[in-house]
Amino acid sequence: MYQTHKTYITPDMKMSDLIIENPKLLLLLEHFEIDFAVKDKSVEQICSENKIDPSVFLVFGNLYNGFFPDKDEINALNDISIIIRFLKNSHKFYKHDKYPELKYFIKQLHEKHNTEDILLIEKFFNEYFEEVLEHLDYEDSVAFPYICRLIEDGKFAGELNFSASEYSDHHSDIETKLTDLKNLLLKHISLKNDFSLRRKFLFSLFELEFDLNIHSLIEEKILLPLVGNIETEPANG
Amino acid sequence: MDRSRINIAVIEPSQIIYEGLSNILMKFKKNFYLYRFYDLEELKNSVSKESFTVAVINPSVIQNKITDFIKLKSIQPHIFWIALVYSFYDEELLQKFNDILSVTATPEQITHKLEQISNAPEKSQQEDLSDREIEVLTQMVNGLSNKEMADKLNISIHTIISHRKNITEKTGIKSLSGLTIYAITKKIIPLDYNSI
Repeated sequence: MYQTHKTYITPDMKMSDLIIENPKLLLLLEHFEIDFAVKDKSVEQICSENKIDPSVFLVFGNLYNGFFPDKDEINALNDISIIIRFLKNSHKFYKHDKYPELKYFIKQLHEKHNTEDILLIEKFFNEYFEEVLEHLDYEDSVAFPYICRLIEDGKFAGELNFSASEYSDHHSDIETKLTDLKNLLLKHISLKNDFSLRRKFLFSLFELEFDLNIHSLIEEKILLPLVGNIETEPANG
Repeated sequence: MDRSRINIAVIEPSQIIYEGLSNILMKFKKNFYLYRFYDLEELKNSVSKESFTVAVINPSVIQNKITDFIKLKSIQPHIFWIALVYSFYDEELLQKFNDILSVTATPEQITHKLEQISNAPEKSQQEDLSDREIEVLTQMVNGLSNKEMADKLNISIHTIISHRKNITEKTGIKSLSGLTIYAITKKIIPLDYNSI
C-alpha cells in the first residue's frame, strides 16, 4: 500500500535535491550511517562510496518518499545484512535519541504543569516505551542474530519461530498507543501556555511515528518475506 | 479518525490509470486520500487499520476471487464498491459492485460521483460520548470484560462491542490505558493515586 506522494527516487537523482524536497530522508541517511554533507553527489555515487547496495537504498528511500515496493522489487533485494544494519541503527535512534528526547520534554512539561493530566501522560508514555524497548531488545538479541546466522550458513538454522503475524500484532500495538498519545494531547488535554515545549514534543512524536511506521513496514513486508525465502530454499551443499 | 477525510482504496494494476485517477482526485478540493493496493488480499489486511469510504477496483482483480470479494464486502458493508471499467466484463461480475465508473468518465463525473457517496451517510460530528457510552467506558476502565459488562448493564455483548467501537471512534483512543487517561481527564472516573 502506498499513499500518492512526490518524487520516486532513481539512481541518477541528486541526493541534496531529494533531501531538500523531503527532509525526512535525513533519517534514512542516518540509519545507513551516511554523512549529511552529500555535496553534489547522485544517489548512485552515495551508495557506492558508502558500500550500500543501491537496490536496498532505493527501496528504503522510496518508502520515506511514500512509495511501497512491489513484490519483484522486494524479492530482488539480496543484501539482507545491510537491511539488518539499517534496522539496528534505527533501534539505536529510538533508544538513545528519540526516547530520551521525548522523556525530557514530558518531564519539563510536568515540572511546569504539576497536574493530574500530565502525570498520567508521563506514566502512559513511560509504560509505552517500556513495551517498545522490550520489542526492540527481542529483535536485537534474538531475531537479528538468528537472521544473521541464517545468512552466514545459508540454510535453515531451526528453533526460532517468529511469525509475521506475531510481529505485526506487536507493531500495531506499538502504533496504537502512539496514536492514543497523540490524540490525548491534540484533542483532550488542554494546557495553557508552553507552546514551544508542546510543539517540540509533538514534532518529536510525529517524527518517531513516521520513522516507526516505515520501520514496521521494512520488518514485516520486506525482511520477513526475504528471510522466509531463505528458510524455504533448499540448502546448497 | 478525522471525519472530513475520505479514504479511497484503489486496486488497479495499471500504473497509468492509477496515477491518472489519483491526479484527478488530488486536484479536487475535497479531502480525498488515495491508497493503492496490489490485490484483494492486501486490502483485506488493511481494512482493520484504516477505514475506507470507497473502494475503486478493476474487475479483473476479482474475476477469479469472487467468493473472497463477496466475503470482504459482507465484512465491510459501509464501504462503497465501485468497478473501474475500461474493457468488457460480464454483467454478472459487474453486478457484484455497488456502482460502475467508466475510464472515459470526465473528471467532473468522477468527482461528482465520489462526492455524492461520501456525503451520503453523514456521521455525527460530535465528539461527546453518550450516557450509555460513558457507562461502558467506566466499566471498561474498571477492568470488566465484555461479558461482565453485558451482564451488569443488561445489554448484549454485541451492543457492548458496538459501544466500544463508537467510543474509540469519537475519542480517537484505542488502548485501555489511553482510555483510562481520557476518563480521568474528563472527570468520568476519579484519579486513584494508589494506581500511579
